[in-house]
Amino acid sequence: MADVTAFSYLTGASALHKMDVRFKLASMILCSLTTVKTQFAGLFFLTLVLGIILLYIRFPLKTLIRELRYFSVLLLFVFIARSLSAPGLPFIKLGFVTVTYKGISDGALVCWRLLNIVFTGLIFVATTRPSTLKTAVEWWLKPVPFIPEQRVAVMISLMIRFMPVILEQARETADAQKARGVENRKNPFYRLKKIALPVLIRTFVTADELSVAMDARCYTEKRTSMKLTAGKNDWLILGGVILLCCLMVV
Amino acid sequence: MNIIEIKNLSHRFANGEIGIDDINLTIREGEFVVFAGMNGSGKTTLFRHLNGLLTPSGGSVILDGISVADDPKRARRMVGMVFQNADSQIVGETVYDDVAFGPENLGLEQAMIAQRVSEALHAVGLNAHADKRPHLLSGGEKRRLAIAGILAMGSRVLVFDEPFSNLDYPGICQVLKQIVSLHHAGHTILIATHDLEKVIFHAQRLIFMKDGNIIQDGAPDDNLKEAERFGVRTPCATHFGKEPISWLT
Ligand SMILES: Nc1ncnc2c1ncn2[C@@H]1O[C@H](COP(=O)(O)OP(=O)(O)OP(=O)(O)O)[C@@H](O)[C@H]1O
Ligand SMILES: [Mg+2]
Repeated sequence: MADVTAFSYLTGASALHKMDVRFKLASMILCSLTTVKTQFAGLFFLTLVLGIILLYIRFPLKTLIRELRYFSVLLLFVFIARSLSAPGLPFIKLGFVTVTYKGISDGALVCWRLLNIVFTGLIFVATTRPSTLKTAVEWWLKPVPFIPEQRVAVMISLMIRFMPVILEQARETADAQKARGVENRKNPFYRLKKIALPVLIRTFVTADELSVAMDARCYTEKRTSMKLTAGKNDWLILGGVILLCCLMVV
Repeated sequence: MNIIEIKNLSHRFANGEIGIDDINLTIREGEFVVFAGMNGSGKTTLFRHLNGLLTPSGGSVILDGISVADDPKRARRMVGMVFQNADSQIVGETVYDDVAFGPENLGLEQAMIAQRVSEALHAVGLNAHADKRPHLLSGGEKRRLAIAGILAMGSRVLVFDEPFSNLDYPGICQVLKQIVSLHHAGHTILIATHDLEKVIFHAQRLIFMKDGNIIQDGAPDDNLKEAERFGVRTPCATHFGKEPISWLT
Protein backbone atom coordinates (compact mmCIF):
# COMPACT_ATOMS: atom_id res chain seq x y z
CA MET A 1 0.00 0.00 0.00
CA ALA A 2 0.88 3.68 -0.23
CA ASP A 3 3.67 3.79 -2.78
CA VAL A 4 2.37 7.31 -3.49
CA THR A 5 4.14 10.01 -5.36
CA ALA A 6 7.51 11.09 -6.66
CA PHE A 7 7.48 13.77 -4.01
CA SER A 8 9.15 11.67 -1.37
CA TYR A 9 12.54 11.11 0.16
CA LEU A 10 15.03 8.90 -1.66
CA THR A 11 17.66 7.36 0.56
CA GLY A 12 21.13 8.21 -0.64
CA ALA A 13 24.48 9.63 0.32
CA SER A 14 25.11 12.39 -2.22
CA ALA A 15 26.49 15.80 -1.26
CA LEU A 16 22.95 17.15 -1.45
CA HIS A 17 21.72 14.51 0.97
CA LYS A 18 24.41 15.51 3.42
CA MET A 19 23.88 19.25 3.04
CA ASP A 20 22.52 21.18 6.02
CA VAL A 21 18.80 21.54 5.44
CA ARG A 22 18.72 25.20 6.39
CA PHE A 23 21.11 25.94 3.54
CA LYS A 24 19.28 23.67 1.18
CA LEU A 25 15.98 25.34 1.97
CA ALA A 26 17.49 28.78 1.37
CA SER A 27 19.07 27.60 -1.89
CA MET A 28 15.81 26.17 -3.10
CA ILE A 29 13.90 29.35 -2.38
CA LEU A 30 16.58 31.43 -4.08
CA CYS A 31 16.49 29.23 -7.17
CA SER A 32 12.71 29.39 -7.38
CA LEU A 33 12.65 33.16 -7.00
CA THR A 34 15.34 33.60 -9.62
CA THR A 35 13.47 31.39 -12.03
CA VAL A 36 10.53 33.75 -11.94
CA LYS A 37 12.78 36.62 -12.94
CA THR A 38 14.86 35.03 -15.71
CA GLN A 39 14.42 34.89 -19.48
CA PHE A 40 15.02 32.02 -21.91
CA ALA A 41 18.82 31.98 -21.74
CA GLY A 42 18.88 31.82 -17.95
CA LEU A 43 16.15 29.20 -17.90
CA PHE A 44 18.06 27.04 -20.33
CA PHE A 45 21.13 27.20 -18.15
CA LEU A 46 19.16 26.46 -14.97
CA THR A 47 17.36 23.51 -16.54
CA LEU A 48 20.73 22.13 -17.58
CA VAL A 49 22.05 22.42 -14.03
CA LEU A 50 18.90 20.91 -12.52
CA GLY A 51 18.98 18.07 -15.04
CA ILE A 52 22.56 17.25 -14.11
CA ILE A 53 21.62 17.29 -10.41
CA LEU A 54 18.65 14.97 -11.05
CA LEU A 55 21.00 12.53 -12.75
CA TYR A 56 23.56 12.93 -9.98
CA ILE A 57 21.11 12.04 -7.20
CA ARG A 58 19.90 9.11 -9.34
CA PHE A 59 16.33 10.29 -9.52
CA PRO A 60 14.35 7.47 -11.16
CA LEU A 61 13.40 8.69 -14.64
CA LYS A 62 10.27 6.55 -14.69
CA THR A 63 8.72 8.18 -11.63
CA LEU A 64 9.66 11.57 -13.02
CA ILE A 65 7.72 10.97 -16.21
CA ARG A 66 4.79 9.35 -14.43
CA GLU A 67 4.52 12.21 -12.00
CA LEU A 68 4.87 14.96 -14.61
CA ARG A 69 2.06 13.42 -16.64
CA TYR A 70 -0.59 15.22 -14.60
CA PHE A 71 1.48 18.31 -14.23
CA SER A 72 1.87 18.60 -18.00
CA VAL A 73 -1.90 18.89 -18.36
CA LEU A 74 -1.79 21.91 -16.08
CA LEU A 75 1.09 23.34 -18.08
CA LEU A 76 -0.89 22.88 -21.28
CA PHE A 77 -3.79 24.88 -19.85
CA VAL A 78 -1.46 27.63 -18.71
CA PHE A 79 0.14 27.70 -22.13
CA ILE A 80 -3.18 27.92 -23.98
CA ALA A 81 -4.50 30.61 -21.67
CA ARG A 82 -1.35 32.64 -22.09
CA SER A 83 -1.13 32.37 -25.84
CA LEU A 84 -4.72 33.45 -26.27
CA SER A 85 -4.58 36.38 -23.91
CA ALA A 86 -1.49 38.32 -25.06
CA PRO A 87 -1.92 41.15 -27.60
CA GLY A 88 0.45 41.65 -30.56
CA LEU A 89 1.29 40.31 -33.98
CA PRO A 90 -1.15 37.50 -34.87
CA PHE A 91 0.34 34.05 -35.48
CA ILE A 92 -2.89 32.34 -36.51
CA LYS A 93 -6.49 33.44 -36.46
CA LEU A 94 -9.27 30.95 -35.72
CA GLY A 95 -12.65 32.59 -35.91
CA PHE A 96 -12.69 35.21 -33.19
CA VAL A 97 -9.63 33.92 -31.27
CA THR A 98 -6.20 35.10 -32.19
CA VAL A 99 -2.96 33.44 -31.21
CA THR A 100 -0.11 35.91 -31.18
CA TYR A 101 3.65 35.41 -31.43
CA LYS A 102 4.06 37.16 -28.13
CA GLY A 103 1.39 34.91 -26.63
CA ILE A 104 3.26 31.80 -27.66
CA SER A 105 6.57 33.00 -26.33
CA ASP A 106 4.95 34.22 -23.10
CA GLY A 107 3.21 30.90 -22.61
CA ALA A 108 6.39 28.94 -23.24
CA LEU A 109 8.30 31.13 -20.79
CA VAL A 110 5.76 30.70 -18.00
CA CYS A 111 5.54 26.95 -18.51
CA TRP A 112 9.27 26.57 -18.56
CA ARG A 113 9.56 28.55 -15.34
CA LEU A 114 6.95 26.39 -13.63
CA LEU A 115 8.72 23.28 -14.82
CA ASN A 116 12.01 24.51 -13.38
CA ILE A 117 10.36 25.25 -10.05
CA VAL A 118 8.92 21.75 -9.96
CA PHE A 119 12.36 20.29 -10.69
CA THR A 120 13.86 22.35 -7.90
CA GLY A 121 11.17 21.15 -5.51
CA LEU A 122 11.64 17.54 -6.59
CA ILE A 123 15.36 17.69 -5.95
CA PHE A 124 14.81 19.26 -2.56
CA VAL A 125 12.23 16.74 -1.43
CA ALA A 126 14.11 13.76 -2.79
CA THR A 127 17.27 14.61 -0.87
CA THR A 128 15.73 15.80 2.38
CA ARG A 129 14.56 13.71 5.28
CA PRO A 130 11.18 15.14 6.30
CA SER A 131 12.15 15.27 9.96
CA THR A 132 15.15 17.48 9.22
CA LEU A 133 13.04 19.71 6.99
CA LYS A 134 10.77 20.45 9.90
CA THR A 135 13.80 21.31 12.03
CA ALA A 136 15.04 23.72 9.37
CA VAL A 137 11.68 25.45 9.07
CA GLU A 138 11.64 25.74 12.84
CA TRP A 139 15.08 27.37 12.76
CA TRP A 140 14.12 29.90 10.09
CA LEU A 141 10.88 30.79 11.86
CA LYS A 142 12.51 31.36 15.24
CA PRO A 143 13.26 35.07 14.70
CA VAL A 144 9.78 35.71 13.30
CA PRO A 145 7.57 37.07 16.08
CA PHE A 146 4.09 35.71 16.81
CA ILE A 147 4.71 32.43 15.05
CA PRO A 148 4.91 29.38 17.35
CA GLU A 149 7.70 27.66 15.42
CA GLN A 150 7.43 24.39 17.37
CA ARG A 151 3.78 24.05 16.50
CA VAL A 152 4.41 24.83 12.85
CA ALA A 153 7.14 22.19 12.80
CA VAL A 154 4.83 19.51 14.16
CA MET A 155 2.13 20.56 11.73
CA ILE A 156 4.53 20.18 8.81
CA SER A 157 5.61 16.74 9.87
CA LEU A 158 2.01 15.64 10.39
CA MET A 159 1.10 16.94 6.95
CA ILE A 160 3.89 14.94 5.38
CA ARG A 161 2.79 11.93 7.36
CA PHE A 162 -0.86 12.34 6.45
CA MET A 163 -0.47 12.77 2.69
CA PRO A 164 -0.04 9.08 1.90
CA VAL A 165 -2.90 8.18 4.24
CA ILE A 166 -5.35 10.58 2.65
CA LEU A 167 -4.35 9.59 -0.87
CA GLU A 168 -4.66 5.94 0.02
CA GLN A 169 -8.08 6.44 1.55
CA ALA A 170 -9.27 8.40 -1.47
CA ARG A 171 -8.07 5.63 -3.76
CA GLU A 172 -9.71 2.94 -1.64
CA THR A 173 -13.01 4.81 -1.51
CA ALA A 174 -12.94 5.43 -5.24
CA ASP A 175 -12.29 1.75 -5.93
CA ALA A 176 -15.09 0.69 -3.61
CA GLN A 177 -17.47 3.01 -5.43
CA LYS A 178 -16.33 1.85 -8.85
CA ALA A 179 -17.07 -1.69 -7.71
CA ARG A 180 -20.63 -0.55 -7.09
CA GLY A 181 -20.99 1.07 -10.49
CA VAL A 182 -20.56 4.74 -9.71
CA GLU A 183 -19.20 5.19 -13.22
CA ASN A 184 -22.71 4.80 -14.57
CA ARG A 185 -23.56 8.15 -13.07
CA LYS A 186 -22.52 10.80 -15.52
CA ASN A 187 -22.99 13.83 -13.30
CA PRO A 188 -19.49 14.84 -12.12
CA PHE A 189 -20.86 16.85 -9.19
CA TYR A 190 -22.73 13.83 -7.90
CA ARG A 191 -19.59 11.75 -8.12
CA LEU A 192 -17.46 14.41 -6.47
CA LYS A 193 -19.88 14.64 -3.59
CA LYS A 194 -19.98 10.88 -3.19
CA ILE A 195 -16.21 10.64 -3.05
CA ALA A 196 -15.37 13.79 -1.09
CA LEU A 197 -17.68 13.24 1.87
CA PRO A 198 -16.56 9.74 2.87
CA VAL A 199 -12.90 10.62 2.36
CA LEU A 200 -13.27 13.73 4.51
CA ILE A 201 -15.08 11.86 7.24
CA ARG A 202 -12.50 9.09 7.29
CA THR A 203 -9.71 11.64 7.35
CA PHE A 204 -11.24 13.37 10.35
CA VAL A 205 -11.71 10.09 12.18
CA THR A 206 -8.09 9.15 11.51
CA ALA A 207 -6.96 12.58 12.66
CA ASP A 208 -8.97 12.16 15.83
CA GLU A 209 -7.45 8.76 16.56
CA LEU A 210 -4.00 10.12 15.83
CA SER A 211 -4.40 13.01 18.24
CA VAL A 212 -5.39 10.60 21.03
CA ALA A 213 -2.39 8.41 20.21
CA MET A 214 -0.14 11.47 20.32
CA ASP A 215 -1.54 12.43 23.69
CA ALA A 216 -0.87 8.94 24.97
CA ARG A 217 2.78 9.47 24.09
CA CYS A 218 3.03 12.66 26.12
CA TYR A 219 2.84 15.10 23.22
CA THR A 220 4.00 18.61 24.16
CA GLU A 221 5.29 21.55 22.16
CA LYS A 222 8.47 21.73 24.21
CA ARG A 223 10.10 18.80 22.50
CA THR A 224 13.68 17.86 21.82
CA SER A 225 14.47 19.03 18.34
CA MET A 226 17.19 17.80 16.10
CA LYS A 227 20.52 19.58 16.03
CA LEU A 228 21.64 20.87 12.66
CA THR A 229 25.28 21.49 11.92
CA ALA A 230 26.59 23.53 9.02
CA GLY A 231 29.96 22.75 7.44
CA LYS A 232 32.26 24.35 4.88
CA ASN A 233 30.48 22.56 2.05
CA ASP A 234 27.15 24.10 2.96
CA TRP A 235 28.54 27.63 2.72
CA LEU A 236 30.27 26.75 -0.56
CA ILE A 237 27.08 25.43 -2.15
CA LEU A 238 25.00 28.34 -0.90
CA GLY A 239 27.62 30.77 -2.25
CA GLY A 240 27.54 28.98 -5.59
CA VAL A 241 23.74 29.18 -5.72
CA ILE A 242 23.75 32.89 -4.92
CA LEU A 243 26.34 33.53 -7.64
CA LEU A 244 24.35 31.49 -10.14
CA CYS A 245 21.14 33.34 -9.30
CA CYS A 246 22.79 36.76 -9.68
CA LEU A 247 24.23 35.77 -13.04
CA MET A 248 20.86 34.61 -14.30
CA VAL A 249 18.93 37.67 -13.30
CA VAL A 250 21.42 40.05 -14.88
CA MET B 1 2.76 -4.49 45.38
CA ASN B 2 -0.18 -2.90 43.55
CA ILE B 3 0.85 -0.88 40.54
CA ILE B 4 -2.72 -0.05 39.52
CA GLU B 5 -5.57 0.64 41.92
CA ILE B 6 -8.96 1.50 40.48
CA LYS B 7 -11.58 2.76 42.93
CA ASN B 8 -15.27 3.16 42.08
CA LEU B 9 -14.41 4.25 38.56
CA SER B 10 -17.32 5.34 36.36
CA HIS B 11 -17.49 7.03 33.01
CA ARG B 12 -20.49 8.53 31.33
CA PHE B 13 -20.08 9.87 27.78
CA ALA B 14 -21.34 13.27 26.67
CA ASN B 15 -24.39 11.68 25.05
CA GLY B 16 -25.38 10.07 28.34
CA GLU B 17 -24.20 6.60 27.39
CA ILE B 18 -22.52 4.72 30.23
CA GLY B 19 -19.06 3.51 29.25
CA ILE B 20 -18.02 1.91 32.54
CA ASP B 21 -19.87 1.73 35.78
CA ASP B 22 -18.37 1.64 39.29
CA ILE B 23 -15.30 -0.48 38.65
CA ASN B 24 -13.02 -1.61 41.49
CA LEU B 25 -9.82 -3.39 40.61
CA THR B 26 -6.22 -3.79 41.73
CA ILE B 27 -3.37 -5.09 39.62
CA ARG B 28 0.00 -6.17 40.96
CA GLU B 29 3.28 -5.21 39.34
CA GLY B 30 4.35 -7.82 36.78
CA GLU B 31 0.91 -9.37 36.35
CA PHE B 32 -0.36 -10.55 32.94
CA VAL B 33 -4.06 -9.76 32.82
CA VAL B 34 -6.53 -10.40 30.02
CA PHE B 35 -9.77 -8.40 29.83
CA ALA B 36 -12.41 -10.15 27.80
CA GLY B 37 -15.88 -9.07 26.82
CA MET B 38 -18.21 -8.41 23.93
CA ASN B 39 -18.06 -5.41 21.63
CA GLY B 40 -19.14 -2.40 23.64
CA SER B 41 -18.49 -3.97 27.05
CA GLY B 42 -16.23 -1.09 28.08
CA LYS B 43 -12.71 -2.47 27.69
CA THR B 44 -11.38 0.45 25.66
CA THR B 45 -13.10 2.96 27.89
CA LEU B 46 -11.54 1.42 30.99
CA PHE B 47 -8.06 1.37 29.44
CA ARG B 48 -8.26 5.01 28.43
CA HIS B 49 -8.62 5.98 32.07
CA LEU B 50 -5.31 4.38 32.96
CA ASN B 51 -3.29 7.13 31.32
CA GLY B 52 -5.75 9.96 31.61
CA LEU B 53 -6.99 10.02 28.01
CA LEU B 54 -10.48 10.01 29.49
CA THR B 55 -11.45 11.76 32.70
CA PRO B 56 -13.62 9.76 35.08
CA SER B 57 -17.13 10.91 35.89
CA GLY B 58 -16.57 9.36 39.30
CA GLY B 59 -13.88 7.47 41.20
CA SER B 60 -10.15 7.41 40.56
CA VAL B 61 -7.19 5.49 39.17
CA ILE B 62 -4.06 5.34 41.29
CA LEU B 63 -0.76 4.35 39.73
CA ASP B 64 1.90 3.26 42.17
CA GLY B 65 0.57 5.56 44.86
CA ILE B 66 -0.17 8.65 42.79
CA SER B 67 -3.53 9.42 41.20
CA VAL B 68 -3.70 9.76 37.41
CA ALA B 69 -5.72 12.94 37.77
CA ASP B 70 -2.95 14.53 39.86
CA ASP B 71 -0.18 13.81 37.42
CA PRO B 72 -1.42 12.78 33.96
CA LYS B 73 2.02 13.26 32.41
CA ARG B 74 3.55 10.69 34.73
CA ALA B 75 0.64 8.36 34.00
CA ARG B 76 1.30 8.59 30.28
CA ARG B 77 4.96 7.85 30.79
CA MET B 78 4.22 4.94 33.05
CA VAL B 79 1.39 3.35 31.06
CA GLY B 80 2.20 2.75 27.42
CA MET B 81 -0.74 2.02 25.18
CA VAL B 82 -1.02 0.17 21.88
CA PHE B 83 -4.31 1.08 20.24
CA GLN B 84 -6.88 -0.98 18.43
CA ASN B 85 -6.00 0.59 15.08
CA ALA B 86 -2.26 0.32 14.44
CA ASP B 87 -2.31 2.67 11.46
CA SER B 88 -3.71 5.66 13.22
CA GLN B 89 -1.08 5.79 15.92
CA ILE B 90 1.89 6.22 13.63
CA VAL B 91 3.20 9.76 13.98
CA GLY B 92 6.62 9.69 12.35
CA GLU B 93 7.61 9.72 8.71
CA THR B 94 10.14 6.97 9.24
CA VAL B 95 10.25 4.05 11.66
CA TYR B 96 13.05 5.77 13.58
CA ASP B 97 11.20 9.08 13.81
CA ASP B 98 8.08 7.37 15.01
CA VAL B 99 9.83 5.62 17.89
CA ALA B 100 11.66 8.85 18.74
CA PHE B 101 8.40 10.78 19.05
CA GLY B 102 7.76 9.79 22.66
CA PRO B 103 11.29 10.44 24.00
CA GLU B 104 11.34 13.77 22.14
CA ASN B 105 8.19 14.75 23.98
CA LEU B 106 9.90 13.89 27.25
CA GLY B 107 12.59 16.40 26.33
CA LEU B 108 15.48 13.92 26.49
CA GLU B 109 18.93 14.64 25.03
CA GLN B 110 19.52 13.65 21.38
CA ALA B 111 22.11 11.02 22.33
CA MET B 112 19.81 9.52 24.92
CA ILE B 113 16.96 9.41 22.42
CA ALA B 114 19.12 7.66 19.84
CA GLN B 115 20.08 5.05 22.41
CA ARG B 116 16.52 4.44 23.55
CA VAL B 117 15.22 4.20 19.99
CA SER B 118 17.85 1.70 18.99
CA GLU B 119 17.20 -0.39 22.09
CA ALA B 120 13.47 -0.36 21.47
CA LEU B 121 13.85 -1.26 17.81
CA HIS B 122 16.20 -4.09 18.76
CA ALA B 123 13.73 -5.37 21.33
CA VAL B 124 11.00 -5.72 18.70
CA GLY B 125 13.34 -6.81 15.92
CA LEU B 126 12.76 -3.84 13.65
CA ASN B 127 16.25 -2.34 13.72
CA ALA B 128 16.82 -3.23 10.07
CA HIS B 129 13.81 -1.11 9.09
CA ALA B 130 14.77 2.10 10.90
CA ASP B 131 14.76 4.19 7.73
CA LYS B 132 11.65 2.70 6.17
CA ARG B 133 8.38 4.54 5.92
CA PRO B 134 5.99 3.05 8.52
CA HIS B 135 3.14 2.74 6.06
CA LEU B 136 5.10 0.25 4.03
CA LEU B 137 5.42 -2.15 6.97
CA SER B 138 3.26 -5.26 7.32
CA GLY B 139 0.44 -5.39 9.85
CA GLY B 140 2.48 -7.35 12.39
CA GLU B 141 5.46 -5.03 11.94
CA LYS B 142 3.23 -1.98 12.46
CA ARG B 143 2.02 -3.38 15.77
CA ARG B 144 5.58 -4.10 16.81
CA LEU B 145 6.49 -0.55 15.81
CA ALA B 146 3.74 0.72 18.10
CA ILE B 147 5.19 -1.45 20.88
CA ALA B 148 8.67 -0.02 20.25
CA GLY B 149 7.19 3.46 20.48
CA ILE B 150 6.02 2.87 24.03
CA LEU B 151 9.11 0.90 25.07
CA ALA B 152 11.24 3.91 24.15
CA MET B 153 9.32 5.95 26.70
CA GLY B 154 10.25 3.51 29.43
CA SER B 155 6.69 2.48 30.31
CA ARG B 156 6.35 -0.10 33.08
CA VAL B 157 2.74 -0.98 32.33
CA LEU B 158 1.94 -2.01 28.76
CA VAL B 159 -1.68 -1.89 27.68
CA PHE B 160 -2.80 -3.59 24.46
CA ASP B 161 -6.22 -2.97 22.98
CA GLU B 162 -7.10 -5.85 20.63
CA PRO B 163 -3.46 -6.43 19.66
CA PHE B 164 -4.28 -9.28 17.26
CA SER B 165 -7.05 -7.76 15.17
CA ASN B 166 -6.37 -7.81 11.44
CA LEU B 167 -3.24 -9.94 11.77
CA ASP B 168 -2.44 -13.15 9.95
CA TYR B 169 -1.01 -16.18 11.75
CA PRO B 170 2.67 -15.17 11.53
CA GLY B 171 1.70 -11.63 12.50
CA ILE B 172 -0.11 -12.87 15.59
CA CYS B 173 2.86 -15.02 16.58
CA GLN B 174 5.29 -12.11 16.17
CA VAL B 175 3.23 -9.83 18.37
CA LEU B 176 2.40 -12.51 20.93
CA LYS B 177 6.05 -13.49 21.26
CA GLN B 178 6.88 -9.85 21.82
CA ILE B 179 4.26 -9.47 24.51
CA VAL B 180 5.32 -12.63 26.32
CA SER B 181 8.98 -11.63 26.30
CA LEU B 182 8.10 -8.19 27.66
CA HIS B 183 6.20 -9.87 30.44
CA HIS B 184 9.27 -11.96 31.26
CA ALA B 185 11.31 -8.76 31.31
CA GLY B 186 9.15 -7.58 34.19
CA HIS B 187 6.50 -5.40 32.54
CA THR B 188 2.93 -5.45 33.72
CA ILE B 189 0.75 -6.52 30.78
CA LEU B 190 -2.93 -5.70 30.22
CA ILE B 191 -4.68 -7.03 27.12
CA ALA B 192 -8.22 -6.37 25.94
CA THR B 193 -9.69 -8.93 23.58
CA HIS B 194 -12.80 -10.86 22.70
CA ASP B 195 -10.74 -13.70 21.34
CA LEU B 196 -9.17 -15.72 24.18
CA GLU B 197 -7.69 -18.44 22.00
CA LYS B 198 -4.47 -16.58 21.26
CA VAL B 199 -3.38 -15.30 24.65
CA ILE B 200 -5.03 -17.22 27.40
CA PHE B 201 -2.23 -19.77 27.75
CA HIS B 202 0.14 -16.98 28.84
CA ALA B 203 -2.26 -15.06 31.07
CA GLN B 204 -2.22 -15.22 34.87
CA ARG B 205 -5.56 -13.58 35.36
CA LEU B 206 -8.73 -13.35 33.33
CA ILE B 207 -11.33 -10.61 33.82
CA PHE B 208 -14.72 -10.61 32.10
CA MET B 209 -16.52 -7.36 31.42
CA LYS B 210 -20.11 -6.78 30.41
CA ASP B 211 -22.06 -3.55 30.02
CA GLY B 212 -19.34 -1.53 31.70
CA ASN B 213 -18.97 -3.82 34.71
CA ILE B 214 -16.45 -6.40 35.82
CA ILE B 215 -18.50 -9.54 36.28
CA GLN B 216 -15.86 -12.20 36.80
CA ASP B 217 -12.25 -11.96 37.92
CA GLY B 218 -9.92 -14.89 38.59
CA ALA B 219 -7.33 -17.34 37.37
CA PRO B 220 -7.94 -18.52 33.77
CA ASP B 221 -8.07 -22.16 34.96
CA ASP B 222 -11.09 -21.39 37.10
CA ASN B 223 -13.22 -19.07 35.00
CA LEU B 224 -12.33 -19.97 31.42
CA LYS B 225 -15.17 -22.50 31.18
CA GLU B 226 -17.71 -19.78 31.82
CA ALA B 227 -16.55 -17.47 29.04
CA GLU B 228 -19.48 -18.14 26.75
CA ARG B 229 -21.92 -16.96 29.35
CA PHE B 230 -20.35 -13.52 28.86
CA GLY B 231 -20.39 -13.55 25.08
CA VAL B 232 -16.77 -14.61 24.62
CA ARG B 233 -15.83 -17.81 22.84
CA THR B 234 -13.86 -20.29 24.92
CA PRO B 235 -10.69 -21.67 23.33
CA CYS B 236 -11.10 -24.87 21.32
CA ALA B 237 -9.04 -26.95 23.72
CA THR B 238 -11.35 -26.05 26.60
CA HIS B 239 -14.32 -27.28 24.56
CA PHE B 240 -12.69 -30.68 24.41
CA GLY B 241 -11.93 -30.66 28.11
CA LYS B 242 -8.21 -30.04 27.62
CA GLU B 243 -5.80 -27.38 28.82
CA PRO B 244 -5.24 -24.38 26.51
CA ILE B 245 -2.03 -24.52 24.49
CA SER B 246 0.35 -21.76 23.48
CA TRP B 247 0.27 -20.35 19.96
CA LEU B 248 4.02 -20.09 20.12
CA THR B 249 4.79 -23.79 19.99
N1 LIG C 1 -17.12 8.57 22.32
C1 LIG C 1 -18.21 7.89 22.73
N2 LIG C 1 -19.40 8.49 22.88
C2 LIG C 1 -20.47 7.82 23.31
N3 LIG C 1 -20.48 6.51 23.61
C3 LIG C 1 -19.33 5.83 23.48
C4 LIG C 1 -18.13 6.48 23.03
N4 LIG C 1 -17.14 5.56 23.01
C5 LIG C 1 -17.70 4.39 23.41
N5 LIG C 1 -19.02 4.54 23.70
C6 LIG C 1 -19.93 3.51 24.22
O1 LIG C 1 -19.40 3.00 25.42
C7 LIG C 1 -19.56 1.60 25.49
C8 LIG C 1 -18.23 0.92 25.74
O2 LIG C 1 -17.40 1.08 24.60
P1 LIG C 1 -15.93 0.54 24.49
O3 LIG C 1 -15.33 1.12 23.27
O4 LIG C 1 -15.23 0.79 25.77
O5 LIG C 1 -16.15 -1.02 24.31
P2 LIG C 1 -15.10 -2.15 23.99
O6 LIG C 1 -15.25 -3.19 25.03
O7 LIG C 1 -13.75 -1.57 23.80
O8 LIG C 1 -15.65 -2.73 22.62
P3 LIG C 1 -14.85 -3.30 21.34
O9 LIG C 1 -14.63 -4.74 21.60
O10 LIG C 1 -15.81 -3.09 20.23
O11 LIG C 1 -13.62 -2.50 21.19
C9 LIG C 1 -20.21 1.19 24.20
O12 LIG C 1 -21.58 0.96 24.46
C10 LIG C 1 -20.04 2.34 23.27
O13 LIG C 1 -21.14 2.49 22.43
MG1 LIG D 1 -12.45 -1.42 22.18
